[in-house]
Amino acid sequence: MTLVLTKLGRYIGNSWIINDLSFEVKKGECLALLGPSGCGKSSTLRLIAGLDKPTKGSIFINKKNITDVSPVERRISMVFQSYALFPHLSVAGNLSIGLKIRGASDSEITRRVTSTLALMQIQDLAHRKPSELSGGQRQRVALARALLRDPLVYLLDEPMSNLDAQLREELRPELRRLIFHGEQPIVYVTHDQQEAMAMATKIAVLNNGKLEQIGTSKELYKTPNSLFVANFIGRPQINILSPRDGAYLGIRPEDIYFSETGISGKLIYTEWQGDKQLLIFDTARGKLRMLCNGDINVPDSCHLSWSKGKEHHFDKNTGCRINPQ
Amino acid sequence: MNNTRNYLCLILIWSLAPIFWQAYTSFCTPEALIYPLKNISNRWTLENYTLLLSSNPSFLRYLLNSTIVGISTTFLTLLLAIPAAYSISKIKPIIAGWVRLFLLSAALFPYVLLFLSLLEIARALNIGNNLFALSIPYSALNMPLALLLLSSSFKDLPIDLEEAARLEGLNLWQRLRWILIPLIAPATASTSILIFIFSWNEYPIALTWISKTELLTLPVAISRIAGSSVYSVPYGAYAAATVLGSIPLLLIVIIFQKQIVSGLTKGAVKG
Repeated sequence: MTLVLTKLGRYIGNSWIINDLSFEVKKGECLALLGPSGCGKSSTLRLIAGLDKPTKGSIFINKKNITDVSPVERRISMVFQSYALFPHLSVAGNLSIGLKIRGASDSEITRRVTSTLALMQIQDLAHRKPSELSGGQRQRVALARALLRDPLVYLLDEPMSNLDAQLREELRPELRRLIFHGEQPIVYVTHDQQEAMAMATKIAVLNNGKLEQIGTSKELYKTPNSLFVANFIGRPQINILSPRDGAYLGIRPEDIYFSETGISGKLIYTEWQGDKQLLIFDTARGKLRMLCNGDINVPDSCHLSWSKGKEHHFDKNTGCRINPQ
Repeated sequence: MNNTRNYLCLILIWSLAPIFWQAYTSFCTPEALIYPLKNISNRWTLENYTLLLSSNPSFLRYLLNSTIVGISTTFLTLLLAIPAAYSISKIKPIIAGWVRLFLLSAALFPYVLLFLSLLEIARALNIGNNLFALSIPYSALNMPLALLLLSSSFKDLPIDLEEAARLEGLNLWQRLRWILIPLIAPATASTSILIFIFSWNEYPIALTWISKTELLTLPVAISRIAGSSVYSVPYGAYAAATVLGSIPLLLIVIIFQKQIVSGLTKGAVKG
């Protein structure tokens, strides 16, 4: 099964909130849509789900053009950021309502709801209302409802952003176990690059409704296509030095090392992160972030350097990557 | 703290005292009302009530009439208002704003000015002396209020819920039936009560549309209670009628108290 978007665009008010968006998610692949708020990642999901209509472009599932097909017939499961559980129905009611509407028999409904509850290990919650559940439990119910649809494509809209950090890490492997082994392509929206790297096989970085770059997390990190991607991927943020010869120079904090031959810098900030420490130096070329071993005692002024091969160059005007000749 | 409590007591006395006074009056003989402080032998009586209930038709008949009008008005109004309110909550904000403005001005219109023309309509259509026909102007008069309350409660529902339902395959009618209407139940309850109370209290239209004695609604029937002569005012009977007339409303409010309060305060705090 595959999901393909070609030149998808949506025009609202007087601007394109999504423009010329094309990508392909193959069977079993998980694509993370990553970007700052308002970049169009949730809007993209809504277009795929059929909740909104695209102004131009097409969507294909299994090579079939579904651009004008109703949401139900697209057979898509979506997990909402808010979980969107029906508050007046019990957990079992939330799971069964779709089956009931689609005309499943009572025995089939019972069988499938029971097996999905068992799969999610939430059998005891079947008769509770959503308001009586914790955040993690609601998340499981929302996932259970998505699994029960037996969809062609899974869409997950920031499924973990309402959970605390610890619960998120606990749920990641479980989420992968449940839906990331199947045939279905998965589109996963998040603004958290850690989560994107943990969950996705490919990451698409969006900015102002446009696709900046698509690739594995390694590709995005090693060869960012633009200044925006370079800034967005990698924490602490990449250092962008003032332009010379019509190009910005980018260097990652973890690629900087101490060297007597380098430029001199004055230490102005230290942040200890356990095994690593983040240092900020004031240098002749502006402020430089550096990530180094947490055990080193750093003197107040030192010399910094980096290898030519680790440099990233971006065009001063367009922000596009310039590959070294 | 103490001040707040005193203030509350004052307010309670202010609003409850007339009701208690009415109840007290309904059990008093005319002599006791004239000489409240004098020591007379026949102070207490049930005669006011027996008089009401034994009259022909019995006062219970008027209670029944008003209940019929109240229920049919509430039902008719909700039937029309719920789909309309849903649409108002879905149209473009700027158009919805204008619709709300019109509704508000309609709600503020002094409807007493309408009753003569309404009477002409009733006559032309020959729907006078019909309790169910009364609920047509009643529901029209309540429509602005019902639309305003219901559409804002539709709007308060998270959009995700309806979209999740769409993805589950529920069509518009199914979404309303299984998801949206159950979720706005508190607002529907409080709206229903307001509509019911309006039709329970309404006087000018009921007075002009209904002339048959056995079809009168409560307020008109009460106004027709007569004393033993034109010179005596039957205070006791009035009071007894008022007490009997408020009991059904009190019961409704007590039973649905929770829903009413949550409906009226909904949207005030995001939950």
